[in-house]
Amino acid sequence: MLAHNYFTSSIGKKQILALTGLGLLGFTVTHLAGNFFLFVGADAFNKYAYTLTSNPLIYVAEAGLIGMFLLHVVLALVLKTENHSARPVKYYNKTRTGRGETIASATMPITGVIILVFIILHLLNFKFGAHYTTNVAGTEMRDLYRVVIEYFANPLYVAWYCFAVCALGLHTSHGVQSVFQTWGFNHKSYTPHIKTAGVLYGLFVAIGFSSLAIFCHFQN
Amino acid sequence: MSFKLDSKIPEGPISEKWDKHKFKLKLVNPANKRKFDVIVVGTGLAGASAAATLAELGYNVKSFCLHDSPRRAHSIAAQGGVNAAKNYPNDGDSVWRLFYDTVKGGDFRAREANVYRLAQVSNNIIDQATAQGVPFARDYGGYLANRSFGGAQVSRTFYAKGQTGQQLLLGAYSALSRQIGLGKVQMYNRRELLDIVLVDGKARGIIVRDMITGDIERHSAHAVILATGGYGNVYFLSTNAMASNAGAAWKAYKKGAGFANPCFTQIHPTCIPVHGDNQSKLTLMSESLRNDGRVWVPKKEGDDRHPNDIPEEERDYYLERVYPSFGNLAPRDVASRQAKYRTDEGKGVGKTKLAVYLDFAAAIKRDGKDAIEARYGNLFEMYQRITDENPYERPMRIYPAVHYTMGGLWVDYNLMSTIPGLHVLGEANFSDHGANRLGASALMQGLADGYFVIPYTLGDYFANNELKPIDTDHEEFKKSEKEVTERINKLLNIKGNRSVDEFHKALGKIMWEYVGMSRDKAGLETAIKEIQKLRGEFWQDVKVVGDAEGISQELEKANRVADFLELGELMARDALTREESCGGHFRSEYQNDGEAKRDDENFAHSAVWEFTGVDKEPIRHKEELEFPNVPLTTRSYK
Amino acid sequence: MSQQEQLLNLNLKVWRQKNRKDSGHFEDYRLEGVSTDSSFLEMIDQLNEQLVAENKDPITFDHDCREGICGSCSMMINGQAHGPEKQTTTCQLHMRSFKNEDTVVIEPWRARAFPVMKDLMVDRSSFDKIIQSGGFISVNTGNAQDANAIPVSKENADLAMDAATCIGCGACVASCPNASAMLFTSAKISQLALLPQGRVEAEERVSSMVKTMDEEGFGNCTNHAECEASCPKGINLSNIARMNKEYIFSKIKGK
Repeated sequence: MLAHNYFTSSIGKKQILALTGLGLLGFTVTHLAGNFFLFVGADAFNKYAYTLTSNPLIYVAEAGLIGMFLLHVVLALVLKTENHSARPVKYYNKTRTGRGETIASATMPITGVIILVFIILHLLNFKFGAHYTTNVAGTEMRDLYRVVIEYFANPLYVAWYCFAVCALGLHTSHGVQSVFQTWGFNHKSYTPHIKTAGVLYGLFVAIGFSSLAIFCHFQN
Repeated sequence: MSFKLDSKIPEGPISEKWDKHKFKLKLVNPANKRKFDVIVVGTGLAGASAAATLAELGYNVKSFCLHDSPRRAHSIAAQGGVNAAKNYPNDGDSVWRLFYDTVKGGDFRAREANVYRLAQVSNNIIDQATAQGVPFARDYGGYLANRSFGGAQVSRTFYAKGQTGQQLLLGAYSALSRQIGLGKVQMYNRRELLDIVLVDGKARGIIVRDMITGDIERHSAHAVILATGGYGNVYFLSTNAMASNAGAAWKAYKKGAGFANPCFTQIHPTCIPVHGDNQSKLTLMSESLRNDGRVWVPKKEGDDRHPNDIPEEERDYYLERVYPSFGNLAPRDVASRQAKYRTDEGKGVGKTKLAVYLDFAAAIKRDGKDAIEARYGNLFEMYQRITDENPYERPMRIYPAVHYTMGGLWVDYNLMSTIPGLHVLGEANFSDHGANRLGASALMQGLADGYFVIPYTLGDYFANNELKPIDTDHEEFKKSEKEVTERINKLLNIKGNRSVDEFHKALGKIMWEYVGMSRDKAGLETAIKEIQKLRGEFWQDVKVVGDAEGISQELEKANRVADFLELGELMARDALTREESCGGHFRSEYQNDGEAKRDDENFAHSAVWEFTGVDKEPIRHKEELEFPNVPLTTRSYK
Repeated sequence: MSQQEQLLNLNLKVWRQKNRKDSGHFEDYRLEGVSTDSSFLEMIDQLNEQLVAENKDPITFDHDCREGICGSCSMMINGQAHGPEKQTTTCQLHMRSFKNEDTVVIEPWRARAFPVMKDLMVDRSSFDKIIQSGGFISVNTGNAQDANAIPVSKENADLAMDAATCIGCGACVASCPNASAMLFTSAKISQLALLPQGRVEAEERVSSMVKTMDEEGFGNCTNHAECEASCPKGINLSNIARMNKEYIFSKIKGK
């Protein structure tokens, strides 16, 4: 059985952070894939959303997702606080070696906060946003498509959305390789590929979501 | 004459001496061991291995080092390897052969019995280090690899890349750390020994300075072990670390320990030459480079051409010329001396003309650049970092530098000095290398002393001596502390005009000039006078900035240089009275055509000096050496 | 003694702090005539000689072997641990890496676990404590069997050697944005975990060493790899991954 001090140890906290991160990586890519129904059209998207939300299991999934997300945020905050206090006196001018830290890794806390704000707004705007109804093939359901299209009518919202998903892309690009490293997978034979995969994942997320926002903007 | 030298060499055939002796040594009951406190000063190979092993046996050990961590002792810088008579390569090695080579390599000025024991326990060292996790080089079958080193005719050297000293030291450090964690060793970092305390004539404690607070501390024990390394820094420039010093050994000498063969210093032939006046230390390039590099100078004096522009026929590959059979692999003392002859002839190279070439062009042509890179890549890199020259494209410049001191505190077969209870291990003692140390033997000796000799012999000392309980309020401690404090105050209050380093550099110049690679009577007499004069000036005119409290690196240096200024004189005296040439000690009056001319009739002995007062002449004692097992021959590498 | 020796004039900004309690400050110094062939520490020696001549307290700094192996030297030079060169300790850094009239900022390592003792000297005894808590194989002298009794694959022996080259200088902690000591700790854990003789205690070792590391107040690893980049011995990040793996397995077994 897992020793109890695992959860309070530096490595334990980090590994759980990585594990919840991995779960969120999975959610993000599924979410993006589902949203591609926006490209297909209003009915397809609404039907997809209806199918998803009408399944009673959704509450379990949502609870899990919220739990994972909160754990991720709380652990990140704890680690950040600890890391901050590990160097009480800062350097006069610390410069990067240029051989280690990347923009993605250096900005993890900042992109993390952006993502947090984004997700709260995102939920308010969409999940808890305006409630229109529509009828698709005889079934009454929420017209989420309209909510989305109306939201993206405002170019400022499109810009904010693109900015936020780029932050998400940056965050996840470091996240992918970090998950493997933290769980002990590092070998010169595959680690370079994992790093590439992380960058591709980040690009996919950033470009995928941004393209949806821009597409929706032009549907108005 | 206050001390008598009894080497306590056991009776019997040489191969049985150590085993018989071990049986005869008295033991301390396991339950009683915890009643004995042992002070170990120094945490290099000898000190760390001794402290760890004694603690494992059950003694209470107090370990002292002047670094921030015991892992930083200068054993860490040894590159090449460690010898052992394992005969894994099946090439004819044996304990006897390692013994024979070491006695001969030391130019017949070491004690046979000690050297034989060293060869015997060499194998245990490899086993012990491997068990500790020391990552020695291995071949593809997973077994340990060996290489030939320093001109040995067999491959008996175990190595861990070019960092063998580091790995062996970290092994000993890990054993020591384990005992610290278990509470059996009390570790005192950043403490510098300033005096040894004798009670009833026996070593019972030390006075140290806490280098952080400046506090003077007293520590008592039932026995004191010094493993404080050599005194090469008397030359200012050497391959020793900046803090390496002779303080502990010198305090012991002044308290009555005999100092043996102080003039036996090893000048290593392959070091990076001096670049200028601000140079602080010299860097060794592993001797293994001579396996493939060819040493040469231009035939013409003052030839300033780029080395690659000097045609073959105008080069003098002098080691190959003078020593056709050993060539570039001639032993350290011989190779160093030859380099000095060439520069004396005005054929030195580089800006300062104090260098010779070590050329890899032929080896690169023969084996390819990749092969040479695989063998010496890290060394070439280091060379380039320091000199900004690419050794793949132009020959390296090298020059001899002070590297190791074979002399040291005299010890008997049990590693005890002439002060009862004061034991001396590793480079700090004099015992095993005679007048010249062979490559890859220093690591072997340090670890042999610490792991496999002192744990046996110390028990015998405890069992045979009644050691009354004392505490640090004893008069002798108070007296010692007072003397130490007075000396510190004296140094701080001179408030002269010349910095400590200025004096150290001046001493170094005298030593290198007159007590260096080649010595003669007139020069040595000059050296003695000049050192005495410099010492007088030091105590009148040195400037030590700072105060006794807190961290004061200037005060630390001043204390060390004050000792060097006395030791240097003793070295010159020893060199002056040893009217022969042997190993690292070369008197130009005693030579056969540039080769050392030993005088076995009059000088087959260790000279052991007894202190009589700072400005008084010390007494020279002799420990006669006998060589019933290795017949006395003239070393010839021609 | 390169053929192109030059003399540099430098403006130095050096951290001065009397003792552990003092709050410390920067002081500016002008140093002229520094040979490009001097090492960085020889440049500091030269500055110290100048300070001594002016009856000022010379700069205290840790240094010893000056060959890049003892791990004593520890300076943050222009914001980089051991200065700008890759895989180079401060003592092996040479002044030819700098230009005439450069301003060079020199600071001590900064970490809660490495308090400054004076000027550029810090207390790194936390590293010793980590090793004391398990960075060894529990073998008493005399226990050892023949060294060739257990063959070790060359690959593992080489990896162990790579990890074992750590000199304990603390550059990893100094350069880590989080002041984490994971590279140092993992190097020792890796070295011993890769060797059959070290496997016996591997689980207890990792558990105990990580515990001590956490208690000493170092930060956590967030995989920036600045430690690897600034390590003068090129210790690899894969060691931290190996430690992470060893750690979870030891915890699953309740160690």
